Amino acid sequence: MGRYLIGRMLQTVLSMLAVISIVFVLTRLSGNPVHLLLDVSASERDQEVLTRHLGLDRPLPVQYVLYVRNLALGDFGHSILSRRPVTQHIRERLPATVELGVTAMLLSVLIGVPLGMYSAVRRGGALDRAARVFAVLGQSMPTFWLGLMLILFFGVVLGVLPAGGRGGLLHLILPAFTLGYFTSAAILRLTRSAMLEVLGSDYIKFARLKGLPEPVVLWKHGLRNALLPVVTFAVLLFVQFLGGAVVTETVFAWPGLGRLILESITTRDYPIVQAGVLVLSALYLTGNLFVDLLYSYLNPRIRHYSA
Amino acid sequence: MNRPLGIALAFALAVVTFVASPAAAKPEGTLTVAVATFGNERWLPNQYVGAEDVVLKPLFENLLTRDPKTGELSPMLAERWQVLDGGRTWKFHLRKGVRFHNGDALTAEDVRHTFATLVKDGSANSLAPEFRLIKSMEVEDPLTLTVRFDKPSVVFGNKVNQGLFSSVAFIQSKRTIEAGEQAERNPVATGPWKFAEHVRGDRIVYEAVENHWRATPHFKRLVFLKVPEPATRMAMLRAGSVDVIEVGGEYVEELKKVGVRTLVMPNVSWVYIILGGQWATKPTYDPKVPWAQPDAERARKVRLALNLAVDKQAIMQRVLGGLGSVVGSWLSYPSDPWTTDASRKPYPYDPPKARQMLAEAGYPGGFDVTMNLTAWPGRGYLPDVGEAVATYWEKIGIRVKRRPLDRAIFAADFRARAYPGVALAYAAPLVAPEPWEVMFRAGYTKAALNLFMEHPKLDEFIDRLAVQPNAQERSRIMRDELGPWLQEYVPGVAIGAAHAIAGVGPKVGEWPLIPGHMGFHNWEYVTRK
Repeated sequence: MGRYLIGRMLQTVLSMLAVISIVFVLTRLSGNPVHLLLDVSASERDQEVLTRHLGLDRPLPVQYVLYVRNLALGDFGHSILSRRPVTQHIRERLPATVELGVTAMLLSVLIGVPLGMYSAVRRGGALDRAARVFAVLGQSMPTFWLGLMLILFFGVVLGVLPAGGRGGLLHLILPAFTLGYFTSAAILRLTRSAMLEVLGSDYIKFARLKGLPEPVVLWKHGLRNALLPVVTFAVLLFVQFLGGAVVTETVFAWPGLGRLILESITTRDYPIVQAGVLVLSALYLTGNLFVDLLYSYLNPRIRHYSA
Repeated sequence: MNRPLGIALAFALAVVTFVASPAAAKPEGTLTVAVATFGNERWLPNQYVGAEDVVLKPLFENLLTRDPKTGELSPMLAERWQVLDGGRTWKFHLRKGVRFHNGDALTAEDVRHTFATLVKDGSANSLAPEFRLIKSMEVEDPLTLTVRFDKPSVVFGNKVNQGLFSSVAFIQSKRTIEAGEQAERNPVATGPWKFAEHVRGDRIVYEAVENHWRATPHFKRLVFLKVPEPATRMAMLRAGSVDVIEVGGEYVEELKKVGVRTLVMPNVSWVYIILGGQWATKPTYDPKVPWAQPDAERARKVRLALNLAVDKQAIMQRVLGGLGSVVGSWLSYPSDPWTTDASRKPYPYDPPKARQMLAEAGYPGGFDVTMNLTAWPGRGYLPDVGEAVATYWEKIGIRVKRRPLDRAIFAADFRARAYPGVALAYAAPLVAPEPWEVMFRAGYTKAALNLFMEHPKLDEFIDRLAVQPNAQERSRIMRDELGPWLQEYVPGVAIGAAHAIAGVGPKVGEWPLIPGHMGFHNWEYVTRK
């Protein structure tokens, strides 16, 4: 297990290095922030001074080495636009993103798992059909459109929920549902198929033959075994939520990390883009690592095979 | 009238006057505004560019402003000013008793230090080139500042006034500026609103300054929310989450359908197609560009053909939602005193004539051209204008290659004048009340910037206008000489003057706006309903 763990961690570090390098090069290919920071009437001298001030006059390899060295020392640099430490920007935005991500994830699980389970148990019934319609809609409706429709219905027509912005619990409902709907549909389908497989297995038949009450058969023996792929899927989705909520954050004017990265891309604020992508990659790779370790813990064949 | 009745009436009148007087009313409630962008979100004079002035103006004040009715310069922090020595010397007399939000008194030294900071090397401020022309500044006494120039600077008053887009010569205190990063966290100024909170990328909150020297706001709090998505801004307004939104022309009909009040700020930016390469003295000049070739007459015919090929009225209606006026001459607004009936009249939409012009210029089969589809902040409609014009040009045989290009990529070519033969849609906000001041930036060979055209005749006009202290004479030169010359020369494809729109909720009452001022302003005068 120890060797497996070290191997996977090394892989994670190498992946991070690759991400750092790719993001560094791509951001610099995408245009010079000096041109966006200064008015079009700025002089050559202003451009030179600002370029030097931002350290963008140095050769790219030098900039890269400095960047990696600073990263190793825990220094993400300063925003080109605000001149504040990048960590401050991330710290300001991460709570909003985590708040939205966690709520969306909870909604997904609370909707997807029970519906998926009962859909499998009542296969072919009205609930199953309704659940499948729910799943198809959830996976086919664009987030952007769904968000706007929810705003119009609950915010404008009924006037019961805020139409945008971050505030109390009420502000969270619509963006969390918008973000979580797609995932809840995916979790529903996954739970349903896993449950169908489990319910057809010998040990479930045996449990029923033993005369165990049906709720015990379903919840204790059925769902616990069916949940393994669902948990894996949910962990990875949660990590994706943290960075992939750009559309939801934009539609609902939610001041999260995804929007920060998007805005920083448009202004070529390299340090924020680099740090944001790095944080998200780290979360994703850590999530992956966690899932792998969980799998190898639960299924010894994996670690033995890897070893 | 008997005495008791007279006293009672006088008392009643006094009560009514007191209750009705906006100045006496205590600020109450919150005015929430949703805007697309906050710009750079910086607070020091050398760090803001200009595009963010919508969210900065409530906090800051300038030396001068413009009269909402006449558009004339009027006092703000300077209670009076003198233009001496033919425009080489400007003397500003500051208002006594004005205090910054931290309690410091406003002095001439604060103004001097603000202007000195604005021109620092590497300054992002769009006014830096103009302020660098200042030769010296002298603080004569705590309330008097004299600004001297080598050459006459007859419109310096336009650079220090608030009633314009991009009027970012905001006066700050020397102590605040020297505090640097501290000022970035807690900006201090003299405006009717004081800083309360700034959550970067999300909200900026101001609080009313009670008993402000100029205008005590009617609302207690002013909250700006950054809502990039226009459909969300509209929904937030309809849901009552915000009271004012900025919105593009394409949404006006929808707002009207659902009964939302709209406020039109007319003629705030001039939309036209830049024809790149008209810079014969620059190293990037390409004589093969049809509209900039050395044969001036043939080049003019090409430019005229490119105008005649385009149905400007259709573009104004369909792309800009009918929110604008098609005008013939370049960079003059229909309401300007120097705009004549002739210059108001657009070049007609006449494709057969356009083809004939092209043939006469030596291009019967058309030519190849690149149309950059580049969006600029606050002017997201420009790629659509470029696309529409490209389609019209194709109808007269011109082969147009569309090039969607991010501003960050194109900006370098734009500054370096390295885009000969490339066309692009552009909208010039009203950065100055007199069009030659815009041309000073866009087409004057002796300025720091020469964006897309140059001509000895244009230099000559600008040289004359720049030293003419008499505003009426400047107006005459523009009306009788420069305007007709530009219309004859056809430097670009004129589309027209575009309006800006605000969607307004039920809480908002009266809102006096300064004509021609791009972007929202005068928040302190917005009344409660």
